[in-house]
This record gives sequence, C-alpha cells and structure tokens, in this order.
Amino acid sequence: MYAQAGAEAQAMTGTPDARAVAAGQLIRQATGGDLDAFEELVRRLQRRVYGFAYQHLRDLDEAYDLTQEIFVKLFRNLARYDAERPFEPWFWKLAANTTINYRRKRVPLPTDQSADTGIAGAASPPPAHDPVLVDALAQLDPAYRLPILLHYYADLPLEQVARSLNLTIPATKSRLHRARALLRNSLAESEEFDAQ
Amino acid sequence: MTALACARVRVLLEAYVDGDLALSDPSTAQAVRDHLVTCADCRRQHEQAVSLPFRMKALRSPGPPPSLIGSVMASIAPLPQTSRRAWALLIPEAVLGAFILWYLSGLEGLTAIASGAWSDLQGLAVWGSGSAPLPSIPVADVLLLGAFIALTAIAAYHLSVLSKLDSTPTPQLRESRRA
Repeated sequence: MYAQAGAEAQAMTGTPDARAVAAGQLIRQATGGDLDAFEELVRRLQRRVYGFAYQHLRDLDEAYDLTQEIFVKLFRNLARYDAERPFEPWFWKLAANTTINYRRKRVPLPTDQSADTGIAGAASPPPAHDPVLVDALAQLDPAYRLPILLHYYADLPLEQVARSLNLTIPATKSRLHRARALLRNSLAESEEFDAQ
Repeated sequence: MTALACARVRVLLEAYVDGDLALSDPSTAQAVRDHLVTCADCRRQHEQAVSLPFRMKALRSPGPPPSLIGSVMASIAPLPQTSRRAWALLIPEAVLGAFILWYLSGLEGLTAIASGAWSDLQGLAVWGSGSAPLPSIPVADVLLLGAFIALTAIAAYHLSVLSKLDSTPTPQLRESRRA
C-alpha cells in the first residue's frame, strides 16, 4: 500500500533503496500522527523547501516564515494524503498553494532591503554565486518564477509541476518556455550593460 | 524554405533547445538552425538558452537555520496538558451552572432559595441548641449546595490553570523565528 510513498521518498531524499523505504515509512508514520516521524520528514525536506522559499522570496526572514507555514500546513493536511499516490507532487502542490497564498497576504516591506536583515542563525544571506541570474529571477513575475523553481530548483518533472500548479502539461511547458525566454532576455541585457 | 527573422527565432529558441520544435515542426527547426549559423546575436541568445537550465539547477541557496525544525515542531505540537485541562473544565462548569440556573428559575427562585436556606439554617441552629429535632432539609437544596461548592472549587482551580497558561504563551508562527 505504501510502495508509492516509498518510491517517492527515494526521489525526495536521493538516497539508496533501504533509506528510501525508511522514508516511505516516515510518511506513513507521520500520517498516523507520529511527531518524531514528522520531524524526520521535515529534516529531510527542509533544505529544498527553504531553498525554494528563499529563491522565490529573496528574503531570509520571509523564507523562514514561508517554510514554517508550508510544514505546518503539511502536518495539518497529512490525513488527506492518499498513500496510493505519489507524495512529492502532492506535497509540492501544497507548497505551491501555500506560496501563492503567502504572497497574497504578504505585507510589502517599507524598503526593498529586507534581504539584508538578519534572522536567528543567519545574519545576512551569503553572496549569490550567480548574481545576474538571481537578479533576473527576482524580477520575474511570480506566475513564471514558481514553475521555474519547481522544475529546475526543486527538480520536479514537468508532469509534477503541472499537477502542482493545476495546469495542463502543454500550458506548463509553455509557461516554462516563456519564463526562460524572459530570463534569457534579462541575462542578455545584463551582459550588454556590463560590456558597455 | 523561407529564412526566419531574428524576432521569430528568439521566440522559438526554448522549444528549439528542448527539442520540441524538431518533433512538432522539423522544417522550422531546420530554419532556426540555419539562422543560427549566420546570426551572431541569435547565436549568443541560443547559448544563453542552452546554458540557462544548467545555471538554474546549479543555483545555491543559504541552508535552513538550525532553529527551523524546532519552530515547526513547536507550532504543530499538541496543546499543552494544562491548556487541554483548561478547556475540559468548561464542561463541568457549564453543567453545574445550567443546573443552578434551572433550579433558581430567575430572581423569584433566587429569593425563594435564599429564604429557604435561611429557614434551614435557623432550623439547624435550633436543633444545635437541643430545643428541637433535626429539621428535614429538601434533597434538592442539598444538591444545590453541593453544586455551589463544586462550582466554586472548579472555578478556583480553573483560574489557577488559566493564570499558568498566561505565563507560558503558545508559540506563534511569525514570532518564533526571532527567538
């Protein structure tokens, strides 16, 4: 019954089979209300979720809040998870919806310097290793940034991105192409500016 | 085959890079390929289009702060035992309160019970002095007195539980990150 969850867990952790099975059990146990199992699940997912939130919001504090909100929502909705179905698309759909709603209710900060303010455990974000791309990504409309991050950053296949965003596969592909074209234009402009 | 303009090529670049164009429209894919041979600007755009997915996959983010898991677990932790007890106490309080209100039946009932209680006390005092036998007190009055005592005791305990809750507030999602 939990074979699907186990298979998904392998994608989630990128670990060998034995560990993947253990991760499948984690999902099952967490679904049954086991807090220790849920904590381990959070531990395994947190890097990708926090990275996704950070790349989407470009703010450490906001990324922290959004990550926390995603996990709290995951816990509250675990009972609705059907173990016969893959965990990853279900989880990322929940994460995407939470992100969309989070942006809607987000109060704009007085200045755009929020990324420089610190949070517990991290004074300021580390310098981006690809700052031109990071800036281009930040300027992208969230409707385009979200599929890009789900596909390339969270590493979800096209079908799972489509399911996560309630889009058809052709619509998702079209949105990804458009997003990449916008990013490409931004990068080209940036390079031209640097060359001058 | 007609040559493609730069603007048209750039719209098709992502589909061309992914191989979708070659599958859906091979002749246009060939036209894009031919254009790229002759156009340096579009070639640069093509290089960007090819490298972009790899650059996206190589993006690195700061690691999650160590406090994240603790904050998540604090947010989802079940209500503390004291808090659950505080809510559970509302049930006997409501039952006792309803019983008392029903018995008193408003102001008339209140004056009736007050005068009844007074005469009961007088009867007890006379019995205590040894000049009269033990008065018969209605069972309902005894029940009411017991309910009053129980309600007072439970309410006092409830207050003490609530005062403890005030000093240990439940974690808040947005505040916990700054702990």
